[in-house]
Amino acid sequence: MTRKNINTSTFILLGIVAFGLPLVLRSPTYLHIIILLYLYAYLTTSWNLVGGFAGVLPLGHSAFIGIGAYASTILSLQYGISPWIGMIAGGILAAIVGILIGFPTFKMRGAYFALATIAFGEGIRVMVENIDNLGPLNINGPRGLQIPPTNIGFGNYMFAGKEPYYYIILVMLVCVLALTYFISRSKLGYYLNAGGEEPEAAMSLGVNVAQAKLIAMAMSSFLTSLAGTFYAQFTLYIHPKSVMSLDFSFEIAFIALIGGRGSIAGPVLGALLLRPVSDFSRIYFGSTLPGLHLIIFGTVLILVMIFQPRGLQEPLSKFYNKLLDRISGQTPQGEVKHEYS
Amino acid sequence: MIYILEDAINGVLMGSIYGLTALGLTLIFGVLKVINFAHGSLLMVGMYAAYWTIILTGVHPYVALIIVAPVMYLFGYYLQDIVIKPIFKAEKDVREPITVIIVTTGVWYILDNLTLLIFGPTYRNIQDNPLKGKMLEIGEMFISVPKLWGFFTAVITAFAIYCFLQKTRMGRAIRATSLDREAASLMGINQFKVYNVAFGIGTATAGIAAVTLVPFYNIFPSVGVLFDIKGFIIVVLGGLGSIGGAILGGIIIGLIESIAPQFMTATWTEAIVYGLFLVVLFVKPSGLFGVKYDW
Repeated sequence: MTRKNINTSTFILLGIVAFGLPLVLRSPTYLHIIILLYLYAYLTTSWNLVGGFAGVLPLGHSAFIGIGAYASTILSLQYGISPWIGMIAGGILAAIVGILIGFPTFKMRGAYFALATIAFGEGIRVMVENIDNLGPLNINGPRGLQIPPTNIGFGNYMFAGKEPYYYIILVMLVCVLALTYFISRSKLGYYLNAGGEEPEAAMSLGVNVAQAKLIAMAMSSFLTSLAGTFYAQFTLYIHPKSVMSLDFSFEIAFIALIGGRGSIAGPVLGALLLRPVSDFSRIYFGSTLPGLHLIIFGTVLILVMIFQPRGLQEPLSKFYNKLLDRISGQTPQGEVKHEYS
Repeated sequence: MIYILEDAINGVLMGSIYGLTALGLTLIFGVLKVINFAHGSLLMVGMYAAYWTIILTGVHPYVALIIVAPVMYLFGYYLQDIVIKPIFKAEKDVREPITVIIVTTGVWYILDNLTLLIFGPTYRNIQDNPLKGKMLEIGEMFISVPKLWGFFTAVITAFAIYCFLQKTRMGRAIRATSLDREAASLMGINQFKVYNVAFGIGTATAGIAAVTLVPFYNIFPSVGVLFDIKGFIIVVLGGLGSIGGAILGGIIIGLIESIAPQFMTATWTEAIVYGLFLVVLFVKPSGLFGVKYDW
């Protein structure tokens, strides 16, 4: 078997496992955990478009989750518009806000950008918490919005079981991964990479760094807001502290960073490794050892940053490649194997 | 009218304490060029240290400074030496290492939740201390005495740090490193030693701020987060790296928080603070009193 064959069959196998899982796994608890895992993988991959490829550190992405969640929920509660349409409307709104916030902030360097995005995210949360009615729209301030589970059906983005949600978020995750893959191999991807590493050098070569970053920001905020709608329809209750909290923004960024920013597999890997840790430590130690998962989280974060600054994907993908070589019996491409007897 | 004046005075007093909490943040940024996200957590550690010192020995709250400030200095010194230095060494060429920001956030998570694990989520305060709830009566105005103590502590601390930076050999080394770390190391300054000392002093000021807060503030594991975000806003307002700017920035925030509720719902003040922060960031990123650097 050649390397390519093995690679393809691994992907097909992963696909079969992912799509067949709900048929085998009947426990709603575990399904819930896995849905949240996919949701995080989706969010971190969307974050990665800005945080990874554009080389900045946005720490206010939960604002976009909130925009998506509130837009679709308000439209469906007050105007009876299907959340599917509301999802797109929220996404466009989030993209506009993303461009508005990106325009002045992308000029700033590292720390200032991070602080500006924090202030922006927190500012939006405080505003939502303080506004009961925005014109004709009922936001309901800190009490949040509840979606009555009455009209179950695909058109209403509402289902009785967890399986449909599982498939929706899985399809969303696959789409965003494919998009990331194409972007990383497109002109935009190279522009972003160049602008993230050496903005001055890239600009002197005629790369419009600011424009590339703005496009990435618009895409990232659009995609993040779609997850907000999903979250709202999945939990049927949103309030500012749940969808717009600073902790949420930080968690997204740090899962992506631990997995490996700027790579395609990194953010997914991060979610795959860290979400179960936090879920299970909350289930088993939640009452006896509160906050244990965050201690683990912080420790892993520090250790990864010291020893593997490019994230956990690097050693793991090296290991995977070695394994491929072993199975296929081929030498790695571009490398000559010396054999001495 | 007299009420607004009363609020303004108390706002200035509380604001100067905010400034004191942000002093270490601005010092560390000035030298290391890193936003220390763990600063609020260090403040929280300082508050617990002060709390237990006062509870166990029964001394006047401000006497706890003798223990808390040196302990916090050593804590910060070794935190930088053990946890943060390796990353600086790995990323020597990067001008503004984002990785260090991330590591300080890891420290924040660990400290906050370790405290939660050890001391539990209970709100603690020191019931019988000579400063609690004391009010100074001037005419019809009531001025909080513990905050007045905090105000003087903040001014003295800022002045002491300013003198230290200007007059002493180590202070000069710190300033040289903050201006140009390569040139400073060429002059024979041990860059990492300077980082350790700067981080230690920054943490010690967090300890001093903690002592001023303990007589009238609640102590709980996530108390640092409140001061963390506020601290970021203060140091950007005052100009990152500016000692006097931190105190003035703190006073601005304190004034907004105390006077704005006269005219609107109290929760809106937070939105005003964030709005002001963003405006300053966009219009004058070097801050109101900061030196113009090229970041």
